[in-house]
Amino acid sequence: MIAALLKVTDLTVVHDGDGGERTLLDAVSLDLAPGEVLGLVGESGSGKSLLCRSLVRLLPSSRLRISGGSITLSGRELTTAPEAEMLAVRGGEIGMIFQNPSSHLDPVMRIGDQITEGIRFHQRLDAKAARAAAVDILAQVGFPDPARQYDSYPHEFSGGMRQRAMIGAALSSNPKILIADEPTTALDVTIQAQILRLLMDIRARRGLSVILVTHDLGIVAQVCDRIAVMWQGRLVEIGEKRGLLAAPAHAYTRSLIASHPSLPEEDMPAKAEELRAPGAVPVVDIEKLHVRFATGGLFRRGAVDAVNGVTLRVMPGETVGIVGESGSGKSTLARAVLGLTPVSSGTIRFDGTDIASGRAVLGMLRRQTAMVFQDPFNALNPHLTVGKMLAEVLRVQGKIETAQIPARCGELLDLVGLGRAFLDRKPRSMSGGQCQRAGIARALAVDPKLIIADECVAALDVTIQAQIVELFRELVERMSLTLIFIAHDLAIVRNLCQRVVVMHRGVIVEEGRSEEVFSRPKHAYTAALIAAVPHIDPDKPLLAPSKMATPQADGVAN
Amino acid sequence: MHRYKFVLYRPLQFLPVLFGISVITFILVRLIPGDPARVLLGTRATPEAIARIRAQYGLDEPMLAQYFYFLRNLADGEMGRSILYKIDVLKLIATRIEPTLTLVLCSVVLSVLIAVPVAAIAARNQGRLADQVIRIVSTFGIGFPPFWLGLMLIILFSVELAVLPVSGYGNTLSDKLAHLVLPSLTVSLSLSTVLARSLRAAMVEGLKSDVATAARARGMPESIVFWRHVLPNSLVPTVNLLAVNIGWLIGGTVVVETVFALPGMGQLLVRAIFSRDYMVVQGVAMVFACATVLINFLADIVTVALDPRVKL
Repeated sequence: MIAALLKVTDLTVVHDGDGGERTLLDAVSLDLAPGEVLGLVGESGSGKSLLCRSLVRLLPSSRLRISGGSITLSGRELTTAPEAEMLAVRGGEIGMIFQNPSSHLDPVMRIGDQITEGIRFHQRLDAKAARAAAVDILAQVGFPDPARQYDSYPHEFSGGMRQRAMIGAALSSNPKILIADEPTTALDVTIQAQILRLLMDIRARRGLSVILVTHDLGIVAQVCDRIAVMWQGRLVEIGEKRGLLAAPAHAYTRSLIASHPSLPEEDMPAKAEELRAPGAVPVVDIEKLHVRFATGGLFRRGAVDAVNGVTLRVMPGETVGIVGESGSGKSTLARAVLGLTPVSSGTIRFDGTDIASGRAVLGMLRRQTAMVFQDPFNALNPHLTVGKMLAEVLRVQGKIETAQIPARCGELLDLVGLGRAFLDRKPRSMSGGQCQRAGIARALAVDPKLIIADECVAALDVTIQAQIVELFRELVERMSLTLIFIAHDLAIVRNLCQRVVVMHRGVIVEEGRSEEVFSRPKHAYTAALIAAVPHIDPDKPLLAPSKMATPQADGVAN
Repeated sequence: MHRYKFVLYRPLQFLPVLFGISVITFILVRLIPGDPARVLLGTRATPEAIARIRAQYGLDEPMLAQYFYFLRNLADGEMGRSILYKIDVLKLIATRIEPTLTLVLCSVVLSVLIAVPVAAIAARNQGRLADQVIRIVSTFGIGFPPFWLGLMLIILFSVELAVLPVSGYGNTLSDKLAHLVLPSLTVSLSLSTVLARSLRAAMVEGLKSDVATAARARGMPESIVFWRHVLPNSLVPTVNLLAVNIGWLIGGTVVVETVFALPGMGQLLVRAIFSRDYMVVQGVAMVFACATVLINFLADIVTVALDPRVKL
């Protein structure tokens, strides 16, 4: 084995709170060889990000401190190094990139200047030489016109290009190790594939070691050499990726692999073709729908067709998935169906009635449809207990007697698997998954014919995602619900939905039975989307060059 | 440069605003009980004399007609004649505008010079002694009324230490500046605390922001993180607060100029109100309103310059 570049031994980080010490990182040990890519997986709160921050001693709060263990970088001890030395280590030897490039790039500073800053500080170059070096880095990370784009601001770029800029800033001082903390979580799959490929290119060209933090086992399987699994502040398992994926030792690793959605399901959803009995009235019948948003100011008016001529039918009891990248119009379509967005042209019929035919119809629509939102925490009123929240919905709907409301609240919670103890809980004291279950209970309280779930698992951990998807599956079966499930995650849609609709730039490019579409996509865009999903099997390469779009494809927005 | 296009068409929006202000000041002045002719001629004036004066200044005409004359004069660049001073209102304002303008300018510059370092010290030492002291002092600063603060400063610097003039306004530049030190200080002690508090809050946020974390992760020392990333991002909200406060400050010169006997527009306004000198009150109010509108316009330009995301 090659000598380790970075060696972490029994690293322990504690939080000094009012109630005494709490251990957040518990004797974590790992090492990183030169040129190696180590995948760090685990759910939120498991200490992945904290470990990364600890390596460069940038702890997110002054109440956190490294209480034991050691970090050695090329033989030097970092836990006790003076702050001045750490300045040289950060950026100069260990570079970092983060999940959200939009918030980590300085919005009021030119992209190029944010790269030059590191070059000037670490390499002591003069302004002109530093600019030339920065232009070179921008070219390396895939900016098509680096000399001009040097002077652009972050908001002028798309999410993918911003992440490229952040990688550029991290590379500016020639680090030996790059820590990438969920670098692609906020990006669409096709962009994610491009960014991962860029990271691997750079690593090959510069001989970088990479620590890649992610919750997506597919990414780890595709790009990493070794995998480390973290759980509740401890590193529970570490090993070569094939061995670890094939024979996980720890229970958490096993559940993580089991809940990874890219695994083909043995029992696909029951065939529901018979539901389309002739003569049945579709729950939702959308015809040639256009939703246009005005853009620009007083003098230069324009319009964007968010939904551009969509025709779609959803039959009772059907589960339809709508997939597509951000900006493809899937959420706008959902909002239009619920009457939340004005329609430019076309018709939407709910249960045979045109929803544009008056306020009474809209009221009827509200009593028979419900929505589950992406951010489970912020979609709940923080001041209400779950019980009060459900009771409010039941009272407003007026479908059941007041006296029966408490009993119904309890039933609803049983239905979503929360249990009646949650009646008195407030969102603040609940986890993301529990909040989302409460959100689903609120949707069910309406006793709806149709539920629209808009990216409702995107903010949750993989194991929780799997639980929520399972819940939806049960509910659909038990209550003959009609479900429109919007997601950018193809694998989840494939697991849950009978039918899938693929949207791209406001139009439906493909629709059909999930198995059909995913195994034999007809449209090139669908094929590209599917190819970009990182598979958990390391032998199904994601980064095959032929299928990759060019970096320019996600070029400069605006 | 299309982001600055609003500089061309925004002034068009000022016209309705100024029109509205002219209506309001015109009506408000006439709602004050009393009669300029009676004030001018004293208590023993005959009704005939009063009627003559009223006719001379058009005060006997209906309100609507008076307002029409006022507007017609404005269009000609005139604001009528002062009843008290017997000269053209614009000329009168011209002689009084310099002390007020210099006072406002000095106060704003001084406030910014105090607020930025104070906020920086407080934010960078958040929760520690320096921060606590600054927060307590600034709370007092907001609490103390400017006229009281002005009097205290006079007692300290002019009466006890005798280093600065008590009141009035000089003739030479250095003399004028010496007379402006205490008034400006009075204003900026209040204004800078407001600014510093807002700036400190923005800076504390900024130091915890992802932008700062990313800069630290690139190995930037705290000083660069602060001055190059945190400060520019904190300035944007404070610029707008400053603009609002300058508007307030222009009205506030009435008090400060009275305390320090500065012959500026604030003082002129007070006298004009007491003698029901309608034309002067209208004129000064219009000038104040224009200045406030102009300052908000300037603040918009500065905001656009500071934040590339802003489009107006």
